[in-house]
Amino acid sequence: MTRNYGKIYAGPQALWLTVFFAAPLAIIVAYSFMKRDLYGGVLPQASLEAYRSLANPTLLSVAWRTLWVSFIATVFTILIALPCGYSIARSGNQAMRLFLVIVPFWTNFLIRIYAWIAILGNEGFLNDLLKILGLRTNSVQFLYNQGAVILVLVYMYLPYAILPLFSTIDKFDFTLLEAARDLGATRMQALMKVLIPNIRGGLVTAVLFTFIPIFGAYAVPLLVGGKDAYMLGNVIADQVTKTRNWPLASSISMGVTVLTGLAAVIFAATSRRTAQHVVEDSGIGPLSATAGIPSGGQA
Amino acid sequence: MKRLLRAAAVLAALSLFLGLSLGLGSCSKKGDEPKKLYIFNWTYYTPDSVIAKFEKEYNCKVVYDSFDSNETMFAKLKAGGSNYDIVFPSADYVSIMINQKMLAPIDRTKLANFRNIDPLVLARSKDYDPDNKFSVPYYMGAAGVAVNKTKVKKYERSWSIFSRKDLKEKMTMLDDMREVMGDALAFQGKSVNSVSDADVKAAEELVNKTWKPNLLKFDAEAFAKGFAAGEFWVAQGYAESIFAEYDAAKRADVDFFIPKEGGPLYIDSMVILKNSKSQDLALKFIDFIHRPEIYAEFCDAFGFPATANVPARALKKGDMWYKAEDLAKCELKLDLGADLEKYNAAWQEIKVGK
Repeated sequence: MTRNYGKIYAGPQALWLTVFFAAPLAIIVAYSFMKRDLYGGVLPQASLEAYRSLANPTLLSVAWRTLWVSFIATVFTILIALPCGYSIARSGNQAMRLFLVIVPFWTNFLIRIYAWIAILGNEGFLNDLLKILGLRTNSVQFLYNQGAVILVLVYMYLPYAILPLFSTIDKFDFTLLEAARDLGATRMQALMKVLIPNIRGGLVTAVLFTFIPIFGAYAVPLLVGGKDAYMLGNVIADQVTKTRNWPLASSISMGVTVLTGLAAVIFAATSRRTAQHVVEDSGIGPLSATAGIPSGGQA
Repeated sequence: MKRLLRAAAVLAALSLFLGLSLGLGSCSKKGDEPKKLYIFNWTYYTPDSVIAKFEKEYNCKVVYDSFDSNETMFAKLKAGGSNYDIVFPSADYVSIMINQKMLAPIDRTKLANFRNIDPLVLARSKDYDPDNKFSVPYYMGAAGVAVNKTKVKKYERSWSIFSRKDLKEKMTMLDDMREVMGDALAFQGKSVNSVSDADVKAAEELVNKTWKPNLLKFDAEAFAKGFAAGEFWVAQGYAESIFAEYDAAKRADVDFFIPKEGGPLYIDSMVILKNSKSQDLALKFIDFIHRPEIYAEFCDAFGFPATANVPARALKKGDMWYKAEDLAKCELKLDLGADLEKYNAAWQEIKVGK
């Protein structure tokens, strides 16, 4: 007398996703095809106007800038997260180190941004330090430029990259590295040719978890960015709250959603294929099969 | 066994949750409830002390909800999920709300203190609500320019300060389309409500080519904090924001001025929504605000001049950053309807920056 409880167990999640994900998304889709009401909101008339105004050169240049900032920030995040994840996985007290990675999350997002303003400001800690050390007599303008935006974005999304990388590196069979060294690989070659291909699943997750939220960043460019820090997230917010063009805000959101969705799918698909290639081509198939395949499934 | 334990844990959690919510629910039902007045106002725009006095005098409870822009206020009202009595929109939104038939007419016979309102303010309010049928002015003001005098010694009290290359990246302007475009239009001797393509284009050029290269950023959120921290030395913005960041001792370091060319002016008004259930109490609140001593208390809390209320001027005690007369050359921002699109396009050009 066993009943299948699968559907019942899945119920809460399905309800959650419908109410908080599918329904809002449907509203955005619907709004993007409607006519704008002059004073905010939409008129119940079908229109493609919002999509036509997407092809405007100023909007495209913001999109390009956003893509560029997100790319750079993601690269830095991964470059920092990779050694972090590695060292946590190999350390004796993983729990403590993971705890330290998560601790900043206990503080509100905005407070952490303001903390960076206090560090980087003209009268901030960093400039004070430089002056005390006698390296500078006047302040360095750290804040309100693209560099500050990228720095704070990297800081904000670093844990999202460290955690998936840690979890795949943790499952990696480190004796494979020794085997590679025995077979004549240098330390670097062993890491690049054996470790990296085997943790590709974690890498893909880390890239997606950082790139996608950074692509929609709003508060960071608003607060630490300068006059040229305007990103797509800010355009969308302005269209809703300032210029009262809800259909345009919706169509930009749709564009962002479709683009990131597509990127995620393509990225995940190609990485799985290359991961398999590596397994077949490298001649270490039987060994890496145990370590490589489960991590590939994480994407 | 394990399953039983889990079920017990879930039950315990549920009962705790239910118990809590029931417990909380039960305390609010004691005695007869005082009348409630629902106010929808800008974030901290009426001091708590004023509200407390009103609650005490009229034995009622004021519920103060806040918004941070006219657009979000309007969207929330349109969505319908509200039972507010008094709302504080700016001039352009008063006319929009009148057109959309959202407002109740104001019974002037119940407003003994209406006579305290400056006739000059009433004259200006004719542009959006002739005869003040639906709105009572709350405050008239304008964004100005704050200068850190310890860093900038010599300057002209003009919008041209933003053209100064020697202050490059030491200045900010508001992230607000109508304000910044209005400043540029006023500087060029045009109306801040101009919808002429040539005027808007010239204003865009001025901001984009001459002012923006000298700015650190466009900021309407944190400019006062940055200015007070010495991040930048010249900031276009609202006096009350800067005022809140400086204690009395340090105020001498700051000069706040309304540029001599004028600029966009705003009047925030009190309106009563058509479906308000406490229109009488709402009228009492509006009348209460225009009692001279109450109006003076409101202005003192923000470093405002008593622009809308004449007798309050004699009762004010605190500092103020500008005088009502400084606004003489300013011009009220009006609703531009569909022509707002011209400003949108110009502003996008400026924000994206080419």
